[in-house]
Amino acid sequence: MRGSLKDRLTVSNDTRHLLAVRDFTGRMARQGPLPPEEVHKITLAVDEAVTNIIEHGFNQGEKGSIEIEAEWEGEKFRVTIRDSARVFNPDSIPSPDVQEHVKAGRKKGLGLFLMRQIMDEVKYRYKDGTQNELTMVKYVKAK
Amino acid sequence: MAGFRIQKEKLAGGVVLVAVKGFLDAHTFEQLEKEFADLFDAGSFRLIVDLSGLDYISSAGAGVFIEAIGTAQENEGNIILMRPGPNVKEVFDLLGLSQIFTFKDTREEALQSLARVGA
Repeated sequence: MRGSLKDRLTVSNDTRHLLAVRDFTGRMARQGPLPPEEVHKITLAVDEAVTNIIEHGFNQGEKGSIEIEAEWEGEKFRVTIRDSARVFNPDSIPSPDVQEHVKAGRKKGLGLFLMRQIMDEVKYRYKDGTQNELTMVKYVKAK
Repeated sequence: MAGFRIQKEKLAGGVVLVAVKGFLDAHTFEQLEKEFADLFDAGSFRLIVDLSGLDYISSAGAGVFIEAIGTAQENEGNIILMRPGPNVKEVFDLLGLSQIFTFKDTREEALQSLARVGA
């Protein structure tokens, strides 16, 4: 059983920080026994989540911050993303039929689809009435 | 813009080879979107995109290809993708795009594939 390892990164709502978000997530994910392709996919899922917040959570020109917390707990890698953007509950958005979506040339909504495809758990809550909190979990051995 | 680069090369028969390198994400996808728009404006609808130098793609980047292939095919063209690395191919697979795009390993194979459309 592995011990606990936890770190946190806070970025402003600018897509130029996505590279730093991916570097941070990859560095944390590699601390555990995940194969490189899983590390890449988790990094992608976190990129998609943060991208959604940056692109849809804030008004034009509005400044905001996004906190990404990554933690290993035993065989479980958990990423918690907190932001003060407008309320966005991904549970309210059904996954698109990706084949139909893509054939129709639609490109929005694919990030959420990837997050659900990649991670074992994707959970949302509106914390303390002021903060979106998205928690995504990957188990080393799928449950 | 750091992190993503595009190189173009005109090939025989009006085909354009677009080589992309680096990271194609929500920060950089507009560069490729503009490149495709410029090519389409110039009447170039038969494209080969060399993905071998692409280190990373997210759905924002994949979305550019989804939109562009529609425009290319509506104008008797196509977009052939060449040599994606495993991480990039994985994203195309996860999104089901591998059934929509044609992947080739060499420029010659890609050109042959394009010769069958719109020529």
